[in-house]
Amino acid sequence: MKAAEFDYIRADSVAAACAALAAAGPGEERKIIAGGQTLVPLMAMRLARPALLVDIDGIPGLDGIEARDSYVAIGAMTRQRAAELSPAVRDAVPLLARALRFVGHVQTRNRGTVGGSLVHGDPSAEIPLAAVALDAELEAEATGGKRTYAAASFFEGPMVTAIAPDECLVEARFPVWNGGRIGAGFQEVASRRGDFAIVAAAAQVALDGGGTCTRIAAALGGVAPGPVRIAALEDALAGTRLEDGAIDAALASVGGAIEPDDDLHATAAYRGRVAEVLLGRAIREARDEARA
Amino acid sequence: MSGHGANYRYVSRKRRTKEDRRFIAGKGRFAADIAVPGMKHVALVASPHPRANILSIDATRALESPGVHAVLTGDELAAETAPLFNGLDIPEVKWFPLAVGMSRYAGEWVAAVVADSRYLAEDAAELVEVDYEPLPAAVEIESLLEPDSPLVHPGHGSNVLVRKTFEWGPVEADFAKSERTLTYRARWGRSSTVPIETFGVVSRWDPIREILDVWASIQMPNYQEQIANSLGIPTNSIRVHNDVDVGGSYGVKRGIKHTVITAYLARKLGMPVRLIEDRLDNMSGGDAHGPDRLFDVTLAFDGDGTIRSMKLRAIDDVGAYPGRGPLQLGKPITALVGPYRLSSVAYEAISVTSNKTGQVPVRGFGQSPTNFMIETGIDLVARRLGIDRIELRRRNLIRSDEFPWRIPTGTEYDSGDYHAVLAKALALADYDALVARRDAARAAGRLAGIGIAACLEPGGGNNIFEQLLNEKLEITTFVESCLMRVDMHGHVTAVMSTTTSGQGHETLIATIAGEELERDPDTIRVTHADSLEALPTRSPVASRMAIVLGGATSEAARKIRAKMVRIAAHNLGVGEDRVEYQAGTFFVRGEPARKLEWNEIASIAHRQFHRLPPGAEPCLQEFSVLQVPGASGQLPNEKKEIQLYPCFSFQAHIPYVEIDPGTGKVEVLDYAIGHDCGTVINPDIVRGMIVGGLAHGVGAALYEKFAYDGDGQFLSGSFVDYLLPSSHEIPIVRDVEHCTPSPRTSLGQKGSGEGGYLGAPAAVASAVNDALAPLGISLSELPMRLCDIEAAIHEKRTERNG
Repeated sequence: MKAAEFDYIRADSVAAACAALAAAGPGEERKIIAGGQTLVPLMAMRLARPALLVDIDGIPGLDGIEARDSYVAIGAMTRQRAAELSPAVRDAVPLLARALRFVGHVQTRNRGTVGGSLVHGDPSAEIPLAAVALDAELEAEATGGKRTYAAASFFEGPMVTAIAPDECLVEARFPVWNGGRIGAGFQEVASRRGDFAIVAAAAQVALDGGGTCTRIAAALGGVAPGPVRIAALEDALAGTRLEDGAIDAALASVGGAIEPDDDLHATAAYRGRVAEVLLGRAIREARDEARA
Repeated sequence: MSGHGANYRYVSRKRRTKEDRRFIAGKGRFAADIAVPGMKHVALVASPHPRANILSIDATRALESPGVHAVLTGDELAAETAPLFNGLDIPEVKWFPLAVGMSRYAGEWVAAVVADSRYLAEDAAELVEVDYEPLPAAVEIESLLEPDSPLVHPGHGSNVLVRKTFEWGPVEADFAKSERTLTYRARWGRSSTVPIETFGVVSRWDPIREILDVWASIQMPNYQEQIANSLGIPTNSIRVHNDVDVGGSYGVKRGIKHTVITAYLARKLGMPVRLIEDRLDNMSGGDAHGPDRLFDVTLAFDGDGTIRSMKLRAIDDVGAYPGRGPLQLGKPITALVGPYRLSSVAYEAISVTSNKTGQVPVRGFGQSPTNFMIETGIDLVARRLGIDRIELRRRNLIRSDEFPWRIPTGTEYDSGDYHAVLAKALALADYDALVARRDAARAAGRLAGIGIAACLEPGGGNNIFEQLLNEKLEITTFVESCLMRVDMHGHVTAVMSTTTSGQGHETLIATIAGEELERDPDTIRVTHADSLEALPTRSPVASRMAIVLGGATSEAARKIRAKMVRIAAHNLGVGEDRVEYQAGTFFVRGEPARKLEWNEIASIAHRQFHRLPPGAEPCLQEFSVLQVPGASGQLPNEKKEIQLYPCFSFQAHIPYVEIDPGTGKVEVLDYAIGHDCGTVINPDIVRGMIVGGLAHGVGAALYEKFAYDGDGQFLSGSFVDYLLPSSHEIPIVRDVEHCTPSPRTSLGQKGSGEGGYLGAPAAVASAVNDALAPLGISLSELPMRLCDIEAAIHEKRTERNG
């Protein structure tokens, strides 16, 4: 459990980080290290063996949370714990606030970053799930300029994301829902508290004054190569009053939207059944919060 | 008897432990803290194949790697050392620290690389090229018995290492007399215990003095003897430094492979060599895996719940190399019928080898799976007869007026009051309120259950059970020793002969010596002699140190005290019978002014030969080497009956769980435990043992499993996949003490290091099954993972709807 040899550069600006990434030899594996909560163990086990490690921890201004008009911008180096405790996130992006509580443990959230989790792209991770549910936008920078990714197409497979090897994620933008009463629900099952989710479910709803659902986002983690929106269910529930019967009926569409696998901790069949159970609970949780 | 057996000055008092100060200050000294000048580092090359012929090993590139000193292969090591110790009589099963010719499990070490740092050694280990010919593996436990199973050790001719049948008491007559029988299966998954510290060892050979110095994270009987046998050097050329702190063991810190590798390399290279396992080394190739057991059981009982007899078959998958692991089928014979009044038992013990990591001893040495098997049966009988689980236990528990109670296998339980402990635990749990809580949860649509487990903890050790599985092991002692000195200033130093791995032995010795000598334990120094200076020891295993080391401490202290009385009597001019001793003062009974202080006598003993009684040896030093108390010291009789362990602690466990029916997730929400380990030496240590052991047992019940796929590939090689319970998964544990002193020990003490673990798996399983009972589900395989529980619920609901 000793890392293989690697070069290490501590960048003092995004430009410097991007330059270091761009300067690496062709075919040389480059990695950005932010909080290191996932990468360092992977390197220790030699499951990750980058030739170059670019540390962005010292870059000023890369962390921070800012509420803008239609979204909350979260700097890539923002610690998960800081986002979890942020009033801006709590008030404007309630689903993310709920999801963050399930990320690892307080100790790992104190080091782990929002950007690191997004770029790592674990299929059961909570922050990517919230990003997909809410249609977040992810801004990355390279020496040549900036590019914005839609969360919906960012997570390409287990631990594989669309970000290019010479790019550094700088900001995640989580849309703020305005209008109506907003509620969020997040549910997951893991063998132990703080473990990677076996299945995670996220829902955010908006109700009008009469209690009718005007907008709903519903997504699942741990049941496909990346987080998945359950669009058919969203379509079925939009315009309803989110009665239990309607929710239960809409959950029938979950099975067609997911591709669960077996692993050591749970079977595909388990994941399929539990996905429905947890998404139903997440939607009810969101509904009840919006009604309250 | 309840409460404390006597009014002690230090024993049973809540006092600070002696060891914690250095650990809390970060000043422990563990194997990885040992820095010997010039020390080199080992990394291991492990086989990725469950079963494969090793066709060739090419170390050329590795040897060219920077900082590399040597690459050791199995062929070289096997040519230069003798095979490691196997507990069973299986001469064709040869175990070497590195694979020879064949790799027998995924993770088996095939080569060791020595370099200037562990980093460089790991770099070079990747460059060792091993050519394997993969072969089909022997994996599934029952298939290992089949004649067409791939053979793990072809020379042995079978995967069955030992198969012994025993019949104690009138089994067939009891079955014939009984109104009912119940047959069930219980499966104990391949789990273990995971100390925070992995195994580590540093070996240094001094060719001038001809001494092998070994600093190791060790907890194993006969360590230096095994090193000597393997290397072919005299035991008195080996110095094991017993003052190395061991960061937890619970049985698994065996490390003989690691030690032989480093010792061989240290001698060959003329450099000190260290091997500190990382967690990957540890979990796949180290000494990590515990029992993996399948029980088939039939109980014979009457309609009123009286259980008369049990027929039991246990198959234990010990993995590729047996070591002492298989003997874990033997120790439970000492408590094979648990705390119950069965009058006969039939036992078939089968040890099988497989292409899995070798089994090592784990806390309780096979007793925890056995207790789980027994308690599962008691719950099933209760369910079958419609008798309350607690009432059924009360009817079958040995009564307090029946001790000493001889069980069919020949062991006599020393003392106990099982009904009282159970009653205390029920009162602590507020059982009626707990039932109301469970029923309210059920009414609200949740699954909720209360677990009940009675749990016997044999303590004290006794090797003779080994002879029941291997006639050649005629070992009828299991000693422990204490040397005690009072110096010329009157200060007391006690010397123990072994390492300590978190059990608080220094506190144990200081407390008992303080009690016996009426000296403040805080002033008593306790040291660990190295193996060349130590008195005989069998290491701190088997819940035995309070009993045997504690007894040796009492004995040594009593000898010291008696000698001081003699010196006092001589100097006070009275007979010894007229001298009284109290808290540091020796005086003539009835004449308190005629006295000598402790320090004066110490000074006389050391410096004033002219004031010593005629014939007295100068100075103040005494020792005791104690045989297992209560042991017959004989071999088993022709019926295979024998007194095994001497002391029997008892616990009653009452957990409360709720299960999420949608996900199968179990939450242990409450836990009450009643315990009786005789005289408690230090209450904090006992409580620590109980809570830690209980958490260990919750892990075995719900989370922990070393899993293999059907081809024998190992799937649980890190903490991502081998799931230990964290503090989040363990509820606040409430405990209540009871005390029935053992008549066999110096102060009435019994063992307490294992009980939490020996009861919790059965208790948590009982709670899960109580929660699932309304659905008609009963599970008997550990661990009870959430996906298995959910699948059982789903299946039952589908059945009902279908």
